[in-house]
Amino acid sequence: MSTIARSGFVSRVRTDRSWWLAGGLIALALIYPIIVETLQALPFIGDFVPRTSSMVVMLVFTMMAIGLNVVVGYAGLLDLGYVAFYAAGAYMAGWLASLQFADVTFHFGSTVSNDKPGIHVSMWLILALAGVFTMIVGILIGLPTLRLRGDYLAIVTLGFGEIVPQFVRNADQEGIGFDLTHGTFGIAPIDSLGVGAFIFREQRNKDDLYYWTAIALLLFTVFCCIRLRDSRLGRAWIAIREDETAAAAMGVPLMRTKTWSYAIGAFFGGVAGAFYSSFKAGAFPADFYFNISIFLLCMVILGGMGSIWGVLAGGMILGYLNIEGLATIGSKVQDAGLHFDPTKYQFGIYGFIIVVMMLFRPTGLIPERRHKIELVEGVHDTPFYDVQTEGTLTDRDMSDD
Amino acid sequence: MTAKKSVLAVLGLLVAALALVAAGCGGGGGGVTALPSSSCTGIEYEGDGDPDYLLASDFPLQGSSRTQTEQIVAAIRHELGQRGWKAGDYNIGFQSCDDATAQAAKWDSGKCSQNANAYAANDDVIAVIGTFNSGCAAIEIPVLNTAPNGGIAMMSPANTYPCLTVNLPGGCDATEPDKYYPNGTRNYARVAPADDYQGAFGAEFAQKQGTKKVYVLNDKEAYGLGVATTFRKAAESLGIEIAGFEAWDPKASSYEAQMKKIQGTGADAIFLGGLIDENGAQLIKDKVAVLGPNDGDVKLYAPDGFTTQATIDEAGPASKGMFMSVAGVPIDAFTGTAKTYINSLLAGPLKGKAIDPYAIYGAQAAQVVLDAIAASDGSRSDVIAKMFASQVTDGLLGTFGFNENGDPTNASGAVVGFTMYVATDKLETSDFFAPKPQTVNAAGAA
Amino acid sequence: MATAVAALHRVRASSLIDAIGLLLLGSVLLWLVVKFFEDPTRFINVGIIGVTNGAIFGLVALGYTLVYGILQLINFAHGDVFALSGLVASTIILDVLGLGEDTSVIFVVLGLLATLAITMPLFALVNASIERIAYKPLRHAPRLAALITAVGMSFIVQNVSLALYGVDYESVPSFIPRTDAIHVGGIVIQWNKLSVFFIVIPVLLVMTWFVRSTRQGKGMRAVAQDTEASAMMGINVDRTISVTFLLAGSLAAVAGLVYLLQFEVRYDTGFELGLIAFTAAVLGGIGNLTGAVLGAMVIGCVQAFNEGLDGTPGGDWTRSIVFGILIATLVFRPEGILGERTPEGA
Repeated sequence: MSTIARSGFVSRVRTDRSWWLAGGLIALALIYPIIVETLQALPFIGDFVPRTSSMVVMLVFTMMAIGLNVVVGYAGLLDLGYVAFYAAGAYMAGWLASLQFADVTFHFGSTVSNDKPGIHVSMWLILALAGVFTMIVGILIGLPTLRLRGDYLAIVTLGFGEIVPQFVRNADQEGIGFDLTHGTFGIAPIDSLGVGAFIFREQRNKDDLYYWTAIALLLFTVFCCIRLRDSRLGRAWIAIREDETAAAAMGVPLMRTKTWSYAIGAFFGGVAGAFYSSFKAGAFPADFYFNISIFLLCMVILGGMGSIWGVLAGGMILGYLNIEGLATIGSKVQDAGLHFDPTKYQFGIYGFIIVVMMLFRPTGLIPERRHKIELVEGVHDTPFYDVQTEGTLTDRDMSDD
Repeated sequence: MTAKKSVLAVLGLLVAALALVAAGCGGGGGGVTALPSSSCTGIEYEGDGDPDYLLASDFPLQGSSRTQTEQIVAAIRHELGQRGWKAGDYNIGFQSCDDATAQAAKWDSGKCSQNANAYAANDDVIAVIGTFNSGCAAIEIPVLNTAPNGGIAMMSPANTYPCLTVNLPGGCDATEPDKYYPNGTRNYARVAPADDYQGAFGAEFAQKQGTKKVYVLNDKEAYGLGVATTFRKAAESLGIEIAGFEAWDPKASSYEAQMKKIQGTGADAIFLGGLIDENGAQLIKDKVAVLGPNDGDVKLYAPDGFTTQATIDEAGPASKGMFMSVAGVPIDAFTGTAKTYINSLLAGPLKGKAIDPYAIYGAQAAQVVLDAIAASDGSRSDVIAKMFASQVTDGLLGTFGFNENGDPTNASGAVVGFTMYVATDKLETSDFFAPKPQTVNAAGAA
Repeated sequence: MATAVAALHRVRASSLIDAIGLLLLGSVLLWLVVKFFEDPTRFINVGIIGVTNGAIFGLVALGYTLVYGILQLINFAHGDVFALSGLVASTIILDVLGLGEDTSVIFVVLGLLATLAITMPLFALVNASIERIAYKPLRHAPRLAALITAVGMSFIVQNVSLALYGVDYESVPSFIPRTDAIHVGGIVIQWNKLSVFFIVIPVLLVMTWFVRSTRQGKGMRAVAQDTEASAMMGINVDRTISVTFLLAGSLAAVAGLVYLLQFEVRYDTGFELGLIAFTAAVLGGIGNLTGAVLGAMVIGCVQAFNEGLDGTPGGDWTRSIVFGILIATLVFRPEGILGERTPEGA
């Protein structure tokens, strides 16, 4: 108890300096596209500097990881099917900004010329719509399943994470009698972001424009998540994470609070999915496989469950390794004469990171203070069995009583 | 004290230090900017000076297809080497890019879009030879089409999905193929004939074999579904009954139950529209287990996604008697320039290997692209224009040009027919002919 | 008091949920009866395929259920250990022992037994080492920590398979002939199918005997029920858990060989099949040995009926249906077919 109170005090003192650092980082991030070529020309480390286009992808996945952090880190609900939300967002963009429904012609603030068939809503609006749609999907998945606790919930989310990709793969004319997702072909091309006749994709500095947009979205996500964490809802999540029974006894409505965490976590996944589908100009069912969920989970664990700064760092590091880093390292290794391709084993590497982090630093790179205390003092969930610690009850004991 | 702060500080310092050092340093090596090493080999260039442009190839180099694609890439390299790494006055560097992932063990949509975006973003890429899989082409074409400076020319030696270039009322969406070309001009051509030909050929061959009722399976993807659809239409037009048209799930462990269902329909043949990579070997084994050997009561036909030695190696004795088609004359029946070329390939990069039919297509695609670059003024848009204006006379695949859709036209020689191979312990030529025009029309009709 | 209120609430909620669940189940059963009378021969033949495949899934499911029973941990890595054992078995059979199409029956049987003699201890050790390295240090950590670690381990083992065997499918010649063993009317059972039961049924019997009757087995049940009390009664908890993982590992090796004899194995086979097997274990009532095999047979039949009968969604929806069953089971009857209700699920 006392530790929590003390750390709260310290945090307030430190806040100012943290914000200065954050401001500096944001400024550096904003000028990144301008300095990237100089950085890449550096000796030795230049090869390891990511291209702007890679940075866009890194930012997108980091944004999803921060969304997942709301579910896993804040509320303590293990979600192994986050990829379903990514898919929902991407397909929302596909439906509302492509030739997918060529029978209707509907334009609303889109950059696409008015004679093109299909629904074309402004991509900016779609980012918001995709978030809301994904939120609804999150609530629909959450309602029947959030009754379950712990590992059972994880398995159900995993199930959804497997069903959604197969559904989008099959939901075409042959599969469901209506061409909703265009099967394995996916929906492509999806419209570009843009303002009026200024279409990002047709600009020479397309990557830079998308990069700045991604930075803005990420900042928005981080801001929301910080505010949420400190809100009444955020405190309720943490209460549930620490002790569900106690939280319920203190009047926290379990179902509603958990559902909100699902919905809000899903929201950011949807926005990121829609943005990414516009960046790469398509949504394809093969993109949404289970490993993506694990990849995102790995970002959260590496960074530190519940810690926004941690997930931010974890997301950027793993995102970098995934899109460019491993390949660059691989080419260096191969130049040195070794036949080893780390990209082939990327998921083995992520699995290794997960295991090592859980064993040696379960609080992550940049631990969230409160979560760290929980792990040290053990106020969390019941262990599956406990021989040494006195007086710890397991679930099964409760059923016997 | 806290980890958070120290990490932030270190990050900040690091970036600042980088920026400082950067100010003092100049640019790196001259020539062209390499495509990312996450997909591609380093720049290969063995000519004089520095390369002026990059030619990229884009194929799945992992999974069972690699027996075919590695030969295509070898053929492209061989062609470049023969020209001294030059196309006309331009020095051409080459990078071989992989659109497959180890996880998928075949082409991957994420990798395709990542690669295409990398080509589009690199001003030095003058043309792309690829892809192998039509589904991947459907992703890459629109990205390359909207690339800066008028789009990038793309030439495929292997895509056979018709709707990439032409709207067949039978199998294409209303928006195909226009949706692949958002900027309105075509940038994609291919030397492989589209699947309305292959479907028609397969159906005519099946009729010759006495097939009365065929069950058509597909993998749901652009290529597999496309060729299955054209085969079905062509077969229907020839009076062959279609017992069923269904997908198989490449991730299933067994297809026996599905084969029982097929048995229940009384079909006397099965057509597999898809790739050997998609658990094809298990599919073939289960077919034989439930419906008997392929040279027995129920025949087994497959298109060029299966036409490789890998099929026979993986399915083992179960593949015996299976029919597999591919465009062009039988590999042992090439004559003239093509024969000389095959021999030089076999003496060089493909030493000790059995040549795959697709190696010839790869070499032909490389020749067309390099000739187009040579004839161009060095701009991307002019390379596209010259590629469409190409006229191949007595080339590796015979004589042909390209129509405004980018399909081979006015063809004669090797390119016009199809070969049906039958599996023994290797691919053995069973038949060679050109499908009748009316069957081809039927294959593409609504 | 809160628990009492919650319990009351649960009773009311579950009666409605049970009713919906029963309705769903009833309509599926009715549909199956209709299908049976449409074409009994084919229905039974397809059913046999389903039960056989299910029995193979069941061998994998046993491993999940054993570990879950004692640690309440979903050992995701189990499926990948199973796939790796299948791959290693293919090397032993083809490259070390050199068995082929034309090897005589005696040598094939001896060779397969020899393969098991190598893979069973090997993968028992692998599995127990995984427990020692990755799960043991986390016994007192929050439960999700161990689950997350299990997911990580699964990827590590999968990538070991990838590094050793690449992305291609491995298979062995069909040693057990796919010729008819039983042929009554139109109903056919091939030798290779029959052989699966020759392995699965004894394994299940031995396992049940082991858990019910041996001292070690009783220890396992005691630890599963109440770790603390069993430790007080002098049961060596660490050893009991290690034995469980040794047992699960050797089961994975048996399953790997049985699977290899029927199907193609690839580095990621274990992931797909592991999920199916886990679903089977949940469906049967996780922690219950017979339930796992029973659940697996139900899943096998669902797959086979979906793929082999007319008027079904077809093979490309199989996975969705299997996971739909998983979700429905957890929502409607978390204790599974044969399980007992625990507060965890409800």
